[in-house]
Amino acid sequence: MLFSEIYGSYFQVVAAVLTEAFDGTLTASRLTAIVQEKAFAESALSIPAALKSEDWPLLDSDLRPVLQHKPTMPLTLLQKRWLKALLSDPRIALFDPDMTGLEEIEPLYQQDTFVFFDQCADGDPFHDPAYIACFRTALKAIREKRKLRIRFHDRTGARHSLECMPYRLEYSAKDDKFRLLAIGKRRLHTVNMARVRSCELLDPYDPKKITLPHARLEELTLILHDERNALDRVLLHFSHFEKETFKLDDRLYQIKLRYDKDDETELLIRVLSFGPVLEVKAPDGFIRLMRSRIQKQIEYGTALFSGFSS
Amino acid sequence: MAYSELIKNFERVRNYMREFYVYGFKRREEYSIKSARSYDNERRRIESWLSDYMSFHQDVSGKNVFLSVDSRQIPHNPLHKAFKAKSFTAKDITLHFYIMDLLADGGTLSSKEIVDHINDNYLSKFSGSFSLDESTVRKKLKEYESLGLLRSERSGREVLYQRTDEEAFHLISWADALAFFSEENPVGVIGSFLIDKLDRPSDAFRFKHHYILHTLDSDVLCDLLVAIDERRTTELVIRSLRSAREYQRTICPLKIYISTQSGRQYLLGYHYRGRRMVFFRLDAIKKVSAGNVEKHYDKYLRYQEKFDRHLWGVSTGPDHNLDHIEMTIHLGHGEEFVLQRLEREKRHGTVELLDAQTCRFTADVYDASEMLPWLRTFLGRIVDLKCSNPLVENMFYEDLRRMDAMYRGDDHAVQ
Repeated sequence: MLFSEIYGSYFQVVAAVLTEAFDGTLTASRLTAIVQEKAFAESALSIPAALKSEDWPLLDSDLRPVLQHKPTMPLTLLQKRWLKALLSDPRIALFDPDMTGLEEIEPLYQQDTFVFFDQCADGDPFHDPAYIACFRTALKAIREKRKLRIRFHDRTGARHSLECMPYRLEYSAKDDKFRLLAIGKRRLHTVNMARVRSCELLDPYDPKKITLPHARLEELTLILHDERNALDRVLLHFSHFEKETFKLDDRLYQIKLRYDKDDETELLIRVLSFGPVLEVKAPDGFIRLMRSRIQKQIEYGTALFSGFSS
Repeated sequence: MAYSELIKNFERVRNYMREFYVYGFKRREEYSIKSARSYDNERRRIESWLSDYMSFHQDVSGKNVFLSVDSRQIPHNPLHKAFKAKSFTAKDITLHFYIMDLLADGGTLSSKEIVDHINDNYLSKFSGSFSLDESTVRKKLKEYESLGLLRSERSGREVLYQRTDEEAFHLISWADALAFFSEENPVGVIGSFLIDKLDRPSDAFRFKHHYILHTLDSDVLCDLLVAIDERRTTELVIRSLRSAREYQRTICPLKIYISTQSGRQYLLGYHYRGRRMVFFRLDAIKKVSAGNVEKHYDKYLRYQEKFDRHLWGVSTGPDHNLDHIEMTIHLGHGEEFVLQRLEREKRHGTVELLDAQTCRFTADVYDASEMLPWLRTFLGRIVDLKCSNPLVENMFYEDLRRMDAMYRGDDHAVQ
């Protein structure tokens, strides 16, 4: 259903080539450049040759199009049904797209078809008009590269006002929350959108003059003991990190993954969740955190000690 | 057959991409493959699509290839590219542009008229041997009608075709929504196809805890969504992830369960023969065939609602009996966030505050052993743990003992 050539890279690239041919600017080198830019690494070996050799008779020998119109294609029914289904997602209120053309379309699915069973229950208030207004203003600021004045409260309830240059909205499906990533007062700010009380659009800024700060990346080295299907579970769970895995022995693996130091506490409890099948080998600070949690647990309650002795 | 970076069948490359992305430590000879050339071709294709994300590791035992992506840093899921690599014939691509062009002004044409126009308007400009017969054109027109690109109407003995976009669709107003939902929606690859139509896609979003692998199962998911929407019984061909054994199940498909903490996707369906609710991992499903409309679909949906109330994740336990579990947590000074965490992560459980520094989480679930990873995230704060299933308590304590030994031993002395 999805795997069709009409959605394929080659059809897209050929449409782009033909469009440029209509503009009269297509040359052999431009043809190759478009393919290199928009298609796969090895497409330049096949697409230009097919177009120039008349295997695909769409351009004449002078690279002029034989078509009468610039190439366009209607949306497929699947694409329309997917868009229609999005209209039932509460987060669509953040975007306000033009729904014209979808009136008679059946959605691909109902919103309650999906159950996100381990998603946090305190997601952002996507129905709240004030939240929607702030979100749209922040999104506009990012799109138009304009400064923003935001008023928000932090986790302790203290109020803040910040003039900043917003550059991304970051969403976590696990938390069901958006965070605004912005630069202000010479440092990176990450602000939960649900904590923003007001957003005011200010003047444009020159994006060339700002440098996005690099995340404080650390490398975590883990030894994985493959029992209880741990290999599959661990590698899938940490798959969103940049990582490298080595097989050390039968059912023994080493994983190196790079993480943002700011997320260390979250990563700590994720490693803890795997119990003894994961063993932290580096960095030392992380090992100390693991040891501290475990020792603290050992010190708690007679129930656990009785569990030890049983 | 000569190598091509395009593919006819998605299934094989689906397996390789998963291996390269999730495991990454395997060497060429460790893949259960038909032939070395097969491995080399698949690896070369994936390199061609995803060269920016491919890495290599070489040591004395050989070379291994892996896909490594920090998905927090990228705006688009690179694995979507696999869905854009379907092979086709010269006639497919040529006919596509000819048909769309001939009908671009909103007019209607029969298949015979289209063939005549193709010969007169386009092929007459070439001296080559390229030719198209009416049956090929008719077949393509029908295919495009089923995809929704064209509509048809009868006029006497003729069938006339017309494009379906007589009114412009304002896709540009969707640019931000597409950038978001193409990543966040379970069938976001459809959004990726739409983004390809935009001159200036939005770059406003990034995604934390972003699991991108599931997109490889989008075709299966799409078939299931249609079956669920049409309330049809469904036959699944499943390949066991452990034994690689293939088997079939006939079920009533009801819901798609998705983990936001691993990216895993599951179909929940009523298994007719087993007379019970069963979960199937989507990455184990090879084929979905929709059957008849299920007359009692509402009955099974009500069953699912009731069934869901005691699920922690997707494990139903051996017999659907309930395990009762209680975890008492100590809240240190200034650690109210732990209580908040319990509240937002409790799922079907309940949380009660016992005193200013103690709270209790309680749940009745089909399989409490499935909760162990979550329980361990509270290590260092658990005052008491009780479970009606003694195996769960024993495993918790045994794991803790092993972890204690692991981090207390001399081997782990911090330098």
